[in-house]
This record gives sequence, structure tokens and C-alpha cells, in this order.
Amino acid sequence: MRRVRALVIATAVLLFGTPIFSQTATKKAEAEPRSDSSEGGKKPLSTRVVAYEIDAKLDPAKHTIAASETLTYHNLTGQPQQTFPFHLYLNAFQPQSTFMTEVRLAGTRGNGPDSEWDPKHYGSITVDKLEVEGAGDLTAKMQFVQPDDHDANDHTVFQVTLPQPIAPGASVTFRMTFHDQLPKVIERTGYTHDFDMVGQWFPKVGVWWKNAWNCHQFHATTEFFADFGTFDVKITLPQNEIVGAGGDLVSSVNNPDGSKTLAYHSEDVHDFSWTASPSFTVVEDSWTGSQGPVHLHVLMSPGNMPSAPRYIKVLKGTLALFDQWYGPYPYDRITVVDPPHGGGDAGGMEYPTLITAGTAWWMPNGLLAPEVVTEHEFGHQYWYGMVATNEFEEAWLDEGINSYTEVKVMDALYGKDTSAINFPFAHLGETQLQRVSYLGDPDMDPISRFAWKFIDSNSYGGITYGKTATVLINLEKVIGEDTLRNALHTYFMRYRFTHPTGEDFLKTVEEISGKDLRWYFNQAVYGTNVLDYEVGNAHSDPLKWWEKHSDIGKNKDEVYRTYVTVQRKGDFVFPVDLLVKFDDDSTATEHWDGQDRWVRYQYDRKAKIKSAQIDPQNQIAMDRDLFNNSYVKKSDSFAVYKLRNMWVFASEWLSQLLAWLT
Amino acid sequence: MSGTRPKTFLAGAALVWRWQRLVWWIFAVTLIFGFLSTQGMVDRASGTLNHSLASRRLVDGWDLSALIELGQLQNSPIEFQGPTATHFSVVFAIFMLFVTGGILATYVRDEKPQTAPFFEGCGHYFWRFVRLLIYFAIVLLPIGAIGAGVGALYDHIEQVSISPFPAVYFFVTSSAVILLLLAIVRLWFDMAEIVAVADDETRMHKALRHAARVLWHNFFSLLWLYLRIAIIGLLLFAIGLRVWMMNLSPQSNILAFLLSQLMILVWIGTRLWQRGSEALWYREYAQTGVNEPVWTPTPSLITSSVATNPES
Repeated sequence: MRRVRALVIATAVLLFGTPIFSQTATKKAEAEPRSDSSEGGKKPLSTRVVAYEIDAKLDPAKHTIAASETLTYHNLTGQPQQTFPFHLYLNAFQPQSTFMTEVRLAGTRGNGPDSEWDPKHYGSITVDKLEVEGAGDLTAKMQFVQPDDHDANDHTVFQVTLPQPIAPGASVTFRMTFHDQLPKVIERTGYTHDFDMVGQWFPKVGVWWKNAWNCHQFHATTEFFADFGTFDVKITLPQNEIVGAGGDLVSSVNNPDGSKTLAYHSEDVHDFSWTASPSFTVVEDSWTGSQGPVHLHVLMSPGNMPSAPRYIKVLKGTLALFDQWYGPYPYDRITVVDPPHGGGDAGGMEYPTLITAGTAWWMPNGLLAPEVVTEHEFGHQYWYGMVATNEFEEAWLDEGINSYTEVKVMDALYGKDTSAINFPFAHLGETQLQRVSYLGDPDMDPISRFAWKFIDSNSYGGITYGKTATVLINLEKVIGEDTLRNALHTYFMRYRFTHPTGEDFLKTVEEISGKDLRWYFNQAVYGTNVLDYEVGNAHSDPLKWWEKHSDIGKNKDEVYRTYVTVQRKGDFVFPVDLLVKFDDDSTATEHWDGQDRWVRYQYDRKAKIKSAQIDPQNQIAMDRDLFNNSYVKKSDSFAVYKLRNMWVFASEWLSQLLAWLT
Repeated sequence: MSGTRPKTFLAGAALVWRWQRLVWWIFAVTLIFGFLSTQGMVDRASGTLNHSLASRRLVDGWDLSALIELGQLQNSPIEFQGPTATHFSVVFAIFMLFVTGGILATYVRDEKPQTAPFFEGCGHYFWRFVRLLIYFAIVLLPIGAIGAGVGALYDHIEQVSISPFPAVYFFVTSSAVILLLLAIVRLWFDMAEIVAVADDETRMHKALRHAARVLWHNFFSLLWLYLRIAIIGLLLFAIGLRVWMMNLSPQSNILAFLLSQLMILVWIGTRLWQRGSEALWYREYAQTGVNEPVWTPTPSLITSSVATNPES
């Protein structure tokens, strides 16, 4: 009986303890133990669809990589699969590619439109040979495809069709040899001086998504999307190179020819990137969270060492707050790469357990750029790294949510009004930074648009990052900050190591808040409506206005009729509060649903209006124009004179400079 | 020439102080132009800010986002004022070109500037100074070419060195050299203008040649005279700027205005201090035995000015 009971229990564990996954989002158990290959046998955190084994050799002089890749793909799609698409991202760095064509038209994160082509920015990845276990050499069967724009010049996606389909539940092993030419650093990847940033460098299989292959071309404003799995990567390079990689260093072997081979292992991730430079200075630290110690591995470039403590301080603060607010960080390491001067295009980027930051030798303490970028890129370990949304089609789910959590974390660590810039003479908070980013181009594209379909890179950046963050800040007014934080925590814990959609996120928010928020999401996420409420008019008139009145000395019995008109100038409908103050210190508070184009309030009191203010708590971050949200009867020119002081001084100074010529 | 090295550093300051109405007058014109170039912005911004509680973001501290948002508004009240400020600055530069003759004549004569003779002097030397300005622009061309070459070299150093500092050191050194070159050229032309006034020289190429000879033979003393005053001016300006940015309360509008204008006044004063010192230096160096310049204003203008200004 005991043996039967044990068998029943074992069977139950086998049947129900191992999660059954499909290729769509599922709910996850809470507080999974950290997966650690060195201890062996611990439960995977993700559905490991892919297993990559890559052997790469870097030639730092030519900035080339010669490599072989073995990819074992587990067909968990539930359907037979015969055709497999692969990303070849590095081929975007060629002038005829879709990527560069779009850059020329509409710019991208590091390059404006009409950028000239620099031949040093040429990059490529070439698959020399492709074999499939059991099917032989299929090199000739490789075919470039362009699922998005059908431009045959673009070679960032290829597909191969196998002779026989792979049954559901079975696996297929691809063996490829390929070589890379790294570009001079452009758009996240490449080399500068003796620094190599190696990202998106190997053939990467697409994702089976919503019952079809999802393997988009590389566009100027898109990022990446891949399945979870394991990576075993060996990197051979000169012994003087210092390497940072998104994985645990398993072994380091010096070779007789003066090179060394480093072996890395990483699991429950969907990408592997690395960097190398003989000029790095390594700074090590650690932080301990709910899952145990996390090793902080910071690679600093020459001249930037003063920023190392800044990186570490913000990293630890971010780790702690994410752990507390959203969920545990399950990996045992995080690598921060500080690109050298001239390598800024490689900065500000995220990969699983490796981020690139950015600073400069002159960076003053009051300019929190190193902190902002480090926090943001670490935040991507959650929103992208673990909650692995489709960055091509729903970029807002990682960039936007991450920008919102960036605001919360930076405000908590550095103060609400000083979390981006903090000088005695000027300051800027993260909330405002996101707002102005959004308001730069607020109404051309909805948040939900596919990333490569925005009108230009400015709109993509402003909407995906700034608007999403502002929308979520604004949402705090509707459901409360704590509820939204709880919703993000639930969303993270439920969907980590899966590929959720925007609707998954929005429904989670509705579920946790207990409110129907479609009226808000339809406008904010799926629409381009702009929010702008204005105090159109506010004045007080004697009730018996037709009688003569003296302004000298106040008649305390005089009754005044005060009108306050609030107008909805934008097309975004949102309920607003109004606070009216009178000169006898009395107040009136109104709540308007904001549906109509205007509303007028009337007060008959023995007092005149002093001020009227929409949103006195300053919670409606999406309002396009905060200056028209209030009316103060008494004119105050202080701000104008302050602006004038500065402009007069600048104008005089320019005059003196020109007068020097005489 | 005698080779005397007169101490004109403090005497020049005394000269400027003595005829300080010139400083105040130039300052007043600068201030008026400054106000004129910003009036449009003030009128527009008043409509947005004067009755809005949100303007406090610009008053209590300096919320940069408020400034950015003002710029982002449709029909922004603070739309870029660059063209307007540039126009007024060009007009001011032409004004200075015009009045420099009168200023130098005052310093060379070391006499109280009277309105009519002053402007007569301005007119008398104006076209000479225009010609000198053209020569100045021509001389600046090779310096511009040097600057472009330095820039290319800087780019190259930046690309070959992974450390930023070689390029930084190169930039600082080369900038210092170029600024020194510019200072020398400016000093040369300052002296040419003084020669044009003190010797009433009408041929500017001769004035330039003579000034070059003078500068060549007294290079270090003249350059040190010029640089000393420039350094004092820059130092005072930097101190003023620091106090304004770091020490003044964000709400102290009046103090900020007074301090900023003091900085401009000091800047104008130091520039005129340079001109005065150079004029005194040349007068004593030339030993032409003149306390009077070769050119004098029309006597009737002097007489009429005396009649209207009994104190002179």
C-alpha cells in the first residue's frame, strides 16, 4: 500500500507538478526556485524550446567571427513543422537592407534621417553550411524571405524547408557554420577602438506565435523576439581580451597559440550576447535578494571609472525595488558593460543578464544619465528578459512598461523632481521626462502599432516609451498607485518566461483593479486621442451687476456670481476634478466626467474668485498643456520676468561676442 | 622708437573710470537691444504664464520640463528667439563699429567726451574701421583653416585612442593656441585702429603695417597687457555666472537681473579697459608729443558743446 501510495504520489507529481505549456501565454506558479546548472537537476524556469551550442572565434583585428552552431529545436507547437525561419540580424547593416532604407527615411535611435552611408558600418552574417540531423546538407535549400515588405534586397530572414516535417513533441537539430563581419558600432552592435559588442550575432530561429511563425525582418525601429532555452557558448579570442557575457563562465582555457577559450552556460534565457576588449577594468560587487546573492560584474572603459560607483549604486537600488515590488530576480549574475567613448551606439541596450549602459568622463553628478540608462536596461531583465513579449509587434509592453517602472524606481531612489537632472539651478524628474518625450509627437501613432509601422523614429520613441509610461502614470489616478503596482507584480509572476500579449497585460490590470478600464485603454493604448482640459474662463461679477458699484473698500454684503468654465480641448475623454478658491478662503470642489466639450459651474457667494484649478493633485500626467489647467485672478509676472532675464542676458552676451569683431 | 614700456595697466583702468559715461552709454544700448529682442516673447509668454498656477514650476526652482513644454505648445510663446537676437546683435556690432572711433579719440585725447564732437569723431573714422573689418575677416580665414585642420586631427585622435583623454588634452591645448592666435590678431587690429585715430592715418594697410611693427617690437608687453585684462574680465564673468547658478535663490528675480547686468557691465568695462590701455600705451610709445590727436573735432562743435555743457 505504501508503495502504491508512493507511486500515486510520484505519478501525480509527474502529471501535475510539471507544467504543461503551449506556445501561448500561461500562468506560472509563484516563487520558483532559482535554476542553477551547477547544482544540476533543478526545475527549469521556462519552457526550453531551444538549445544552442555555439563555438565562436573572434578575430579582433578584422572584427570577424567564425563560428559553428548546433541548435536543437523542440517542437512544442502542437503541429508538425517542416519550414523553419531564422533571423540573420547582422545583415541589416548593409545599405540596401530594409533597416538602412528605413533609417534613411525616418531615422532610428542613433541615426537621423538622411544619414550618409559609411562603409565602415557594413555588417553581415553568412551561413556557410546548414545541415539537419537526419536530412543532410540543406545549404542549397536556404532561402531569404521578406515577410514584412517583400523587398528581396533584405537578407535578415531566411527559411529552410526540411524534407520531412518534425512531429509535434519531437526535436530537430540544425548544424550550421557561419561567419560574421561586425560593423563599426551602429545600432547596438559592432566595434570601436579595441572594443567589440557582439549582439544578435548568430542565426536565431523564429517563434511559433499565434499559430504561425513569427520571424520579422529587422527594421529600424524594431527589436527582438525569441524562445527560451539554454545556451552553451565557447568563445575563442586572444588571451589579453577581457570578456563579458550573458552567462555563467564554466571554464577558461589558455591555448598554445596565445588565445584562450571561454565557455559559458546560460539557461532560461532567449538570447546570448557578449563583449570583449583588452581595455576594460573589471569592478565586481554583489547584492543579495530574496533569491540569494547576485554577482554584479561591471566592465568599465578607460576614462569612465568615476561612474562605476554610480552604476553599482543604482543597480543595487533597482534590484532591491524590483525584488520588492514586482518579483524575484532569479539569475545569479548581471553584467554591466560600459562602452568606450565613440561606442555610444552600443550603449543603452539589454540582453538577458547583460546590459550596456553609458556615461562620459565629464559626467557631472547632477546629470543622472548613467543612472537612468542602467536602471532602464536592468528593468528590461523583467520586461523583455523574463516577460518575453514580442518586441516587433508590441514594443510598448517592454519599452513602455519599463519606462513606467523606470519612473517609479528613479523617483524612489533620487526624488520625484530630481530623478533625471539635479542641479541647484535646474532640475527634471522622470515623470516630466517621459511626458515631454511623449508630447514631442503625441498624436501620429497609437501605442499598439507594430514597431516598424510608426511614422518615424521620433514618434516610435515618444509613443512607445514616453506615452506608455505617461499612460500608466495617469492610470494611477483611476485605480491607485498601489493597485497598479500590484497588477504589475501579478503580471510579472504570471507571465514570466512566457510570451504574453498586450491584452494579457491589460486584462491583468482590470482583474486586479476590479474595474472595467476599456474606456481608458481604447483611447490611451489603441487610439491617438490627446488629453487636454482647460479652464476656459473664470470670473466674478456682482450679482446686481446693473447697479453702480464702488471698488474702494469692500462691501462685505455684496454677493458675487462666479462662473468657471472648463473645456475639453482634446479628444481624450477623462474625468477631471476642479478646485475653485475664493478670496474669503472658501473653496468648492467639482468632479466632471469630461464627456461633453465644456461645463460651466456657477457660484453665488459673498466672495470673488481667486483661482480655479483642474486636477489639483497633479495626477493627470497625460494632459498636453498644464499651463491652461488653472486660472489665477491676480496676475503674476514673476515667471515671465525670470525668462526675460535669461533671454536678455543671452542676447546681450551674443551682442558682445559679435562686437569683439569690431 | 624709444622702446619705453609704460605702465598702462592701471592708468587704462583710470582712464575708463574717468570717462565712464562711455561704459554706461554702451551698456544702456546693450540693455535696450536686449529688451527689444525679447519683447515679443514676453508679450506671448505673459498670456500663458501670468494667470497660470503652472508657472510656479519656473519660479520655485527651475523645472526644465516646464520650459520644454512651453516650447512644445502649439503657437509656443517662447518659440526660438535666435533670429531676433541675432538681428539685434548684428545691429549692435555695427553700432560698436561706429562708436569705436569716438571712443578711441576720447581715450587718445583723454578729454571729456562731448556729444557732437564725439559723434563727429565716430563718423570721421567709421569707414576706416569698416575697411579694417574687411581686413580682419580676411586675416581670420587662415585661422579658420587652422581650426578646421585641428578639428580633423581631433577626430582622428578620438578614433585611434580608446581613452578619451588624448583627444581632450589635444582639444584643450589646440583651443588655447587658437584663442591666443585670435587674441594676437585682435590686438594687432586694436593697435591699427589706434594708429588710425592717433596718427589720423587714412590708409589702413599702412596702419596695419605700422601696428604690426609696433606689436612685433613690443610683443610680450602688449600681449600681456591685453591678456591680463581679458583674464580679469573672464574671471569676474565666471564668478558672476557661478553665483547666479549656484547661490542665488530661484525666487530672487531682481537680484538675478542685477547680477546678470553687472556681469555685462563688467564685460563692457574690461573691453574698454583694453582699448583705453592700448590707446595710452601707443600715445606714450609713439612720443609724438601729442596730448592732442592729429585730427581734432570741428571747433564750432566744441564751442557749442561747451556752451551747452558749462562744466566741461
